[in-house]
Amino acid sequence: MLVQRRTKGGIFAAALTAVATLVASALPAHAETGVSSSTIKLGITVPLTGAAAPGYNKIPAAMKAYFDYVNANGGVNGRKIQLVVKDDAYSPAQTLSVTNDLILKDKVFALVGTLGTANNEATTRLVNSHGVPRLFVNTGFSGFADMKKYPTTFPLFPSYATEAKAMGKYIADNLAGKKVALIYQDDDFGADALKGFATAGTNFVAKIPYSALSQADPSVVGKWVTSIVSAQADTVIMFGVTSATGALAGGLYKAGLIGKVQMILGSVGSDGTTLKGLLGPLAPALAGSIAASFLPSPSDATDEYVNLFKTVNTQYNPGATFDNNVLVGMNTAMLTVQALRAAGANPTRASLVKAIEAKGSTWASAAFSPILFSAKSHVGYTGYWFGKLGLDGNAVSVDGPGKYTLYTTDSGSAPVVKTAAARPAMPAKGLPNN
Amino acid sequence: MKLKSPRARFFTSIAIGAVLLFISGRVDELRSYQGAQVAIFAIAISSIVLLTGFSGQISLGHGALMAVGGYSAVLVQSHLNLPYPIAFLIGGAVGGGAGFLLGIAAARLQGPYLAGTTLALAVGIPSLANQFHILGGEQGLTFDVGTAPSWIGKDFSQYRWFFWVAVVAALLIYWLLRNLLSTRYGRRWRAVRANPTAAALAGINVGKAKVLAFTLSSTVAGLAGSLYAMLLGLVAPLAFTLTLSFTLITGAVLAGVSNLGGSIIGAVVLVAIPEISGSITSHLGGSEKVTSNLPGLIASVLLVATVLFAPNGPQWPRRKHQ
Repeated sequence: MLVQRRTKGGIFAAALTAVATLVASALPAHAETGVSSSTIKLGITVPLTGAAAPGYNKIPAAMKAYFDYVNANGGVNGRKIQLVVKDDAYSPAQTLSVTNDLILKDKVFALVGTLGTANNEATTRLVNSHGVPRLFVNTGFSGFADMKKYPTTFPLFPSYATEAKAMGKYIADNLAGKKVALIYQDDDFGADALKGFATAGTNFVAKIPYSALSQADPSVVGKWVTSIVSAQADTVIMFGVTSATGALAGGLYKAGLIGKVQMILGSVGSDGTTLKGLLGPLAPALAGSIAASFLPSPSDATDEYVNLFKTVNTQYNPGATFDNNVLVGMNTAMLTVQALRAAGANPTRASLVKAIEAKGSTWASAAFSPILFSAKSHVGYTGYWFGKLGLDGNAVSVDGPGKYTLYTTDSGSAPVVKTAAARPAMPAKGLPNN
Repeated sequence: MKLKSPRARFFTSIAIGAVLLFISGRVDELRSYQGAQVAIFAIAISSIVLLTGFSGQISLGHGALMAVGGYSAVLVQSHLNLPYPIAFLIGGAVGGGAGFLLGIAAARLQGPYLAGTTLALAVGIPSLANQFHILGGEQGLTFDVGTAPSWIGKDFSQYRWFFWVAVVAALLIYWLLRNLLSTRYGRRWRAVRANPTAAALAGINVGKAKVLAFTLSSTVAGLAGSLYAMLLGLVAPLAFTLTLSFTLITGAVLAGVSNLGGSIIGAVVLVAIPEISGSITSHLGGSEKVTSNLPGLIASVLLVATVLFAPNGPQWPRRKHQ
């Protein structure tokens, strides 16, 4: 009996080993998390609910629309891109919770376009420990370019210090002798800007800090106007969010200063669609303001990228108004597709990071700015162009429609370089062929 | 009766701890994280149970006290280079100090006035971080407690380590509070909650008892805040919003506000809601609007149902005889 049982056990074990070997050999040699033979799974966290949601909540749908467009045209090396969207309500705690889900439960291959500085900071430890690529994070905080602290993270947007330096150069070249006042948000956002203006050597007749969200208080806006008047400023820079731009325009209008004080707006605070919504009938008060941007204006009908994204938006994202947020989402998605293609036929997380470092600087993108990705740098865009807001709230280049002068620099002490804007031509039908 | 002696409670805590720590080796990283979350929420909710359920005071600002604890822990760790267990204790102590000051005001306020005062705190305190450079502004300060010590073993994941730290802290707090509540302090608080006038006539210093309860509750909240900072790896104004304060109160109501053991149930429910709503929407499909609003809906329905049908929280049948 005993002997028989042993034999049975032996046969069973042998059979099990054989089956296990068969199964193992049938599996692909190297299956990366989130990549199957037919799909690549990506994840994004954004505020879809809560106070920060308006505007930003349009980004994931725009990205999905572009991915659907690419999927309908063969996908990436035969794989379809899936985007798992999680709401974090702009709370870092919730960002970490849902990113745990994305990485440990949904098992995404990479994160893309995750939004918010503190939100991305909160997930850094998790992202680093699992080696998850985090592409094109949606924040202007320059710290994310630190490759030691964030080895798999790629910021895309230019830093606030870069923007301030570019603005300083623009003022020195075009508005010399003007009496400039600066209004800025009194936190790291504004501190970055002050650093940039100091490097650029811009002189101010008044520096007016305000604490975040206090622009909703009319007495705060009243103080801005008083300071501008008492300093006899004829030019004012608003380095704040869109609602602060709206408040300033309202304040200047009430004081009868529209047309007497030239407004210069940062890229964060100059989204035409949002401003129109905020200001209503007062919106034309902003016409003539100078605004810094890196992407083309969403209303520029001569821009090939804008036109393609508009078409994709109509077809795959019906009902969504085409604005800056949609443009940002689609542009991020287009870069993502190029990154995935460059990561090879069997992409791994490591090969994706390598591919961006090796080739990211050559990819097609709507922005009028070079991309600086390399094995030594994770800095994305580095340049701005300046436009004047029209009556419709959209910016037109100061050099005339379709002509862009680019101001390029870094977050540190490098000089600002002025060049004619050049960017890679859009691939045929906007489908990457890198 | 024997089950209620401090020593019996101590051994029960140790036994529960041993079982939980054993389980932690058998589950994946996600569950470890959720376990740590439950333990930290349980501590935070127990601070509210202590305050509201036992001393009859109300606070809508415990998220702010957690922020005070969290920021203190991070600051002492980064500037004084203290080991993090000490940083946690200091987080609790500073939270308690803030609670003491607040408690002095709170002892003079009642009902909606107290609610309003603490609500203002919940709104105001986190935004202080934007005013002082040392507090790191909007993106906050990072907090790294490092990985598990090497003697515990290799392949000990970060989240499993957090789970251990949080569970040990939660059991310790639970044991201390349970014992404290069966001392004369606990009885005084209950007397004050039941009827302040009668308590005063019986010789209890009502104001003192209230301030003490507020201080202790804030200490526990401060400790929870520093553990929360450990779990997030940072402190930032956005991590301690009004929503956090309200979430804790929701948890306390679900727990039954005068039921210390219920804190764990409240915490489990808070952590489970997003999980449950996630699986509902993944089975039924549905738009992003449904997905992102379902957790709030479930929490609200549970809250209303608890208030209507089980105002004292889920109770074991045995308790009815007491």
